[in-house]
Amino acid sequence: MSKVVIHHVTPNINGGWSVRKGGSAKATRVFKNRDEAVEFAKKIARNSKTGLFIHKKDGKITKYRSFEKKSA
Amino acid sequence: MLIDSNVFYNCPFDKEYKPILDAVIFCLKFLKLNPVLASQENDGAENRVDKICRLISSAKYGIHDLSRIRASKKGEIFRLNMPFELGVDFGARKLAPENFGSKSLLILGSEPFRYQAALSDLAGSDIRSHAGEAIEAVEQVRNWFAEKLPGETPGPSLIWGRYNDFLGDNFLRLTDRGFNERQIERIPIAEFMDDIDRWLQTNHIS
Repeated sequence: MSKVVIHHVTPNINGGWSVRKGGSAKATRVFKNRDEAVEFAKKIARNSKTGLFIHKKDGKITKYRSFEKKSA
Repeated sequence: MLIDSNVFYNCPFDKEYKPILDAVIFCLKFLKLNPVLASQENDGAENRVDKICRLISSAKYGIHDLSRIRASKKGEIFRLNMPFELGVDFGARKLAPENFGSKSLLILGSEPFRYQAALSDLAGSDIRSHAGEAIEAVEQVRNWFAEKLPGETPGPSLIWGRYNDFLGDNFLRLTDRGFNERQIERIPIAEFMDDIDRWLQTNHIS
């Protein structure tokens, strides 16, 4: 399986919800609520053609969506 | 004989607790520790108490989660396995200090100070609350080990982020292998631990 670039929407350890690029130590942005974080993450994932994981409050995955460019 | 990296993890193994169990196991492995759990091995021939004693006698560290010993609904049986196993671990340290005196025990609960009231003998022990949240459990376990382990310990945010990376990568790997979401959630604990080991071999950043 090839390594794909992924963004994650996850609970932030200091409160709120983070949007973070996979493998990165720091969040791109932190939001007060999950819906705002998801909207922002979708824009990033769409523009950068990456995958997006949305996590639940307990860290488990609730949804995966791929915005990767489809190969011809 | 105590093994410095072994951590006996005494906790419930039900669906409600699983998010905390999985996150704490990842945290321990990220810190290069080796969680040992009663549910990890399925040797039907071994008496359960013998198994618990064998695991406890191999582990320098013990994590005992008492957060779910109280019955959550009417008619549910009060859970005594967790306090029993804590007692065995505590007793080993007290009664055989020549072999187990260097053991360190962390007691986890869902509410601060609840267990001192219910079990006053625990006074003076390391008791921390995770409030029933996986993210809080990772921070509490990490912070406790930061006081015990040599060198610098990675921060809670880094560990939590890497845990989320692992869950995502493992989700893609398993769905490629024909697992559906329900099957991924129900993967046996020993297999889940192998998945973490495999992932950390190529993705460990600290």
